[in-house]
Amino acid sequence: MAADTAVPSAVLAGVMTDQRRSLVLWSLALAAIATMYIGIYPAMGVADMASMVENLPEAMVNAFGYDEIATPAGYITSTVYGLLGPILLSVFAIATGTRLVAGQEEDGTLELELTAPVGRARVLLERLGALWLNVAVLVGVLTVVTIALVVVLDLDVAVGNVVAGSAGMLLLILGVGTIGLSVGAITGRRAIGLGVAAAFAVGGFMLDAIGPTVEVDWMTAASPFSWYLDERPLFTGFDWPGLAQLAAVPLVAAVAGVVGFARRDLMT
Amino acid sequence: MDDVVIRTEGLVKDYGKVRALDGLDLEVERGEIFGFLGPNGAGKSTTIRVLLDLLRPTAGRAEVLGSTPDAGGPALRARIGYLPGELAMSGRRTAGQLLRYLVRLRGGAGTDGIGPLAERFGLDLDRPIRGLSKGNKQKVGVVQAFMHRPELLILDEPTSGLDPLLQREFLDLVTEVRDAGATVFMSSHVLSEIEDVAGRVAIIRDGVIVDTDDVRTLRHHAGQLVELRFADRVDAATFARLPGVEDATVDGTTLRCLLRGEPDALLKAAAAHHVVAWSAEDRELEDLFLDFYRAPADDRRAQEVTR
Repeated sequence: MAADTAVPSAVLAGVMTDQRRSLVLWSLALAAIATMYIGIYPAMGVADMASMVENLPEAMVNAFGYDEIATPAGYITSTVYGLLGPILLSVFAIATGTRLVAGQEEDGTLELELTAPVGRARVLLERLGALWLNVAVLVGVLTVVTIALVVVLDLDVAVGNVVAGSAGMLLLILGVGTIGLSVGAITGRRAIGLGVAAAFAVGGFMLDAIGPTVEVDWMTAASPFSWYLDERPLFTGFDWPGLAQLAAVPLVAAVAGVVGFARRDLMT
Repeated sequence: MDDVVIRTEGLVKDYGKVRALDGLDLEVERGEIFGFLGPNGAGKSTTIRVLLDLLRPTAGRAEVLGSTPDAGGPALRARIGYLPGELAMSGRRTAGQLLRYLVRLRGGAGTDGIGPLAERFGLDLDRPIRGLSKGNKQKVGVVQAFMHRPELLILDEPTSGLDPLLQREFLDLVTEVRDAGATVFMSSHVLSEIEDVAGRVAIIRDGVIVDTDDVRTLRHHAGQLVELRFADRVDAATFARLPGVEDATVDGTTLRCLLRGEPDALLKAAAAHHVVAWSAEDRELEDLFLDFYRAPADDRRAQEVTR
């Protein structure tokens, strides 16, 4: 009878097919935004930016990392890698992650899959795999566009450092999305997944922004956003301890999701 | 091989503080078409969802094809075809793409089943799912439940959404797969929908089985509401004592009664008069429940029915 159970990655492939359109649109949007922001860098006078930053409150400068905005690596960190990238990708990851299990369970479209010869753990893991693949594609697009602009505009940023920054962003967003998917899968409520994942993303950003200003160390230590950018990957390259901390989040969340989903009543 | 395909013993399911199943005992035998009858909210879908391992029992035990739904896992579900009561489908995919996806979830089983079934029910496989009417979605549901020739079919309110012609076609299909050796477990809230095909029927009410019976016996118990209009006034007493006739009342020239069993005696008695019009209506299932349950809250309505 084993022959009549699901072929490997059938669920993952199915989700990817459904996601194709959304993935293309998001890729285009991210590429356009990155191009716009990085593209105007040469046009902005370094002196202008330095004077602009001087006029800003110090807390804000620290919060957004504007103290180094006059350098290409600082500028790209402050705009694409430190702000727009994480925000937009978090929105995508949370919306998609919470929909892929809890959302589709709530609207009933998961019923035929859950009653098919596929184990619950596999349904969850393959759907999670599809989410990770989607996020990886989008971070990949952002990385390629950034590297292309750095090369074309001859900006003083090492390509390896861009990849290091992307690795951190990828792991951060995988964490955010996996929390959304898993919390939704554990509770069966998409809204709860949305809330917890958004709180994780926004909370991490806030702690990272406020911590240095109020000089409370645990805030920075507890912020995934700090793990991501504190060691300034676009200047210094790979920050392995930070990446390891970031990687733990999606893994722990995935295990919790599998365990919780396997025990629960579904489609209630 | 075990002859009991579905067995539940004292099955209890609570949703928080609400008890949906309260000690449900069922036995469905191999090769039968088993009707699972009850009003909405009685626990039909809850029972079915336990059988498919979507829900886990609070207490008691369920067994499908020899194993518990949980232990049976994917290998067990490979042998089952399931039609949900409320079939939710969406997306840009066409009906054919969705069905082929479901075939892949079955390791390829059912590939050859899609075409003939779709043709039989007039389902256009090239149309996007989200544009389909309720009836067409139901056809997709029927195709996916039957395409892999499962040995057990679990069908939750299968005829809802199908027009009468397709209901007929569907019931023919159910009979065919039974004749080919499959077991069919189908729920409904209307006896007349399944009585033509079902062998035995269980009636569920408030989470317990109140009666399991041969469908003919059940229909006999249920009886029919007969109304005869005569050209002249008739006497209720002439009809009241006929075999199978109950609750005979006469209103002017119209006789109304509840008939259980053969209509022969009633018709012969009526033939002595000039009959202007007649009707015989199967009683609603709800009336049946009133027969089974004379709960205090139902007293007034029960009296109205039996008076």
